[in-house]
Amino acid sequence: MERKESRWGWLFIAPAFAHLLLFALAPILYAFGLSLFRTRLISPEREFAGVENYTFAVAEPSFQNALWNSARYALVSVPLGLIVALAVAILVNQKLKGITLFRTIYYIPAISSGVAIAMLWQYVYLPETGMINSLLGMLGLDNKKAFLDDVGSAMWAVAIMSVFTGLGPRMVLFLAGLVGIPQELYEAGALDGATGWRAFLKITLPMLIPTTFFVVVTSTISALQIFTPIYMMTKGGPEESTDVVGYHIYTEAWVNFNTGLASAKSFVLLVAIVAVSLVQFRMMKSQLKGYSAA
Amino acid sequence: MRRWFGLLAMALSLSACSTDPDERIVIRVANWGGADDESDFAAKQRGLYEEFEKRNPDIKVVIEGIPGPGEYVPKMILAHNSGATPDIATLDASSSALFINSGMLMDLATLIDKDQEFKLNDFYLNIVDIARRGDAIYAIPNDFTPMVMYYNKRLFDASGVSYPQNGWTFDQFRETAKKLTKKDQYGFVFANWFPGWIMWLWNNGGDVFSPDLKRASGFLDSAENVKTIEFLRTMINDDKSAPSLSQAAAAGVDLFANGQAAMTVSGHWGMVGYSAAPKGPDGKPKITLADLGVVMLPNNTGKPVTVMYESGYAITKRAKHPDAAWRFIKFMTSYESRLVLNQTGIAVDARKDVSTERGKDPLEAMFLPIIPTCRPPYGTMVEGFEMVETQAQNAMDSVLKNGRDPKAALEKAAKRIDSELAKRQVKR
Repeated sequence: MERKESRWGWLFIAPAFAHLLLFALAPILYAFGLSLFRTRLISPEREFAGVENYTFAVAEPSFQNALWNSARYALVSVPLGLIVALAVAILVNQKLKGITLFRTIYYIPAISSGVAIAMLWQYVYLPETGMINSLLGMLGLDNKKAFLDDVGSAMWAVAIMSVFTGLGPRMVLFLAGLVGIPQELYEAGALDGATGWRAFLKITLPMLIPTTFFVVVTSTISALQIFTPIYMMTKGGPEESTDVVGYHIYTEAWVNFNTGLASAKSFVLLVAIVAVSLVQFRMMKSQLKGYSAA
Repeated sequence: MRRWFGLLAMALSLSACSTDPDERIVIRVANWGGADDESDFAAKQRGLYEEFEKRNPDIKVVIEGIPGPGEYVPKMILAHNSGATPDIATLDASSSALFINSGMLMDLATLIDKDQEFKLNDFYLNIVDIARRGDAIYAIPNDFTPMVMYYNKRLFDASGVSYPQNGWTFDQFRETAKKLTKKDQYGFVFANWFPGWIMWLWNNGGDVFSPDLKRASGFLDSAENVKTIEFLRTMINDDKSAPSLSQAAAAGVDLFANGQAAMTVSGHWGMVGYSAAPKGPDGKPKITLADLGVVMLPNNTGKPVTVMYESGYAITKRAKHPDAAWRFIKFMTSYESRLVLNQTGIAVDARKDVSTERGKDPLEAMFLPIIPTCRPPYGTMVEGFEMVETQAQNAMDSVLKNGRDPKAALEKAAKRIDSELAKRQVKR
């Protein structure tokens, strides 16, 4: 009986599993193989290169610049996205009439096409006629700045956009975390005089640590993989100030056709993401330990 | 369980029966532009495909539209690598080196020699040469366009400025632009799209590469090119006879088509937009074809030159029915087909007879003296020239948008191009 059931279990996961093997795992293995060769997409020839692509990649200034850009982007967009998502989650957790409407509205960007959103945000950032500059103009302030054309602001403009596009899923996670906090804790806290801000710091935040951890890890990973907004809005410019690793790898493979080198760079990105995640796990472990001891 | 299999088998055999019992030869044609393209040109093209099928009942044409040039090139190369190349590829000169060098295309010379009806001499030979390598010919050209200077005669008349003449100089151009600049009107509008400004470099005596196409340092960052960029910057920053890039972007419209700029650089395709220009408050279009004049770009060398962009049809080596594919190309590049397509105004025809016929139109006639000054784009010789375009555009952006020094910006771009070229991993 049990065996029969497990056979059905295998059957049920088979399509998803086959898809994973065929379209995720197999290409990853193939890309690893490719990363050990000197190749060019338009030529059938390839030469074995060993780790040459890796040593070349990490020493290449433009790739280092891309790694730095990705790090900059993640360092800003992850904390900012986190804080905004938590704030919005707390707001939409209020028991108000029609609150589900707001929840839906805040979630909509998550199910919209990234390309369409990026196009709209290009208009938001236009000089003079863009949404932000129109508002600045109405206030009598300088409205000439082209946010996406300026070396100093382009990356932050993209990061701010990502706060809104990534809001939905993060908000839902925090909302679930908030709902999961037992009401008794607040009641007990209130008896001890912990209300309002104090209750938030001493009860809400600590109880949200596991959720926060999950949100931090997943949004860091997606921040390090960002591609669509860069492709749509800046093409890595101005002066490669928004040339993040994802976009850099894309141009290496599909504009320069250096597929071996591009694969090697993908694996450098993989190692970087794993390393960052490991550090985050380590930090969170110590956090949780301190929390349970208290 | 068995019944379920039985049903499945039945369903499969049914679906097999329901396929078209079509025994026509299928030729697959890769083309840019999506299937939902509603333009006049796309409609006329579809009409011609149908006409071809009517006249060749043994052939079925399947169009594989790939939207956007950025997707077209990688997709075709992937199709080639995986053995799924279509029979016919539409070739864009700006990326043709990749296709020709990759060995995916068939040499058409024997097909041309065999065919009594087809005459290569019907075409402009310098256009045919784009896809010629020694004796081999890899594509038959459809049409092409030089990049030219358009001017708005109505705005010139209103300011009492005489029309520009072929052979004019940078300084004459600058003065003309100044005279045409007034409130809500610019003399010229510049777009930072490298394929649209490379000929400014040539016309001031500069270039992009060393003659062996191996090195940009010493060429892209030459003193002549620095001067050219400074010249364009002066027009924007000091003369204010051209809008800044962000002012042009903020306008949200093509300033020339909107009657707010007296001159602009574009290809023949520009006319498609100008013939459908936005309407003013009086209900009349802000610019009409009757307002347009066409002139060469200014030059300081005494030898005016411009870049041309071209498209042609090629047959791939893997084509299963090269003869059917050849019949298709012959039909599409025939006098009658080209006359239909050329009327859409998108380009100058590669056929001399069609261009001469169209040259009876005074506006079209203005293109004819420019044709001998046409130079093929570097994409016909350098694989993946898009990389160079990006770097040159970045340099121009950093000068015009972020106030960098032109010489430093060009040096940086040239060095970067050299290192990217050196990186190309497998040499042919």
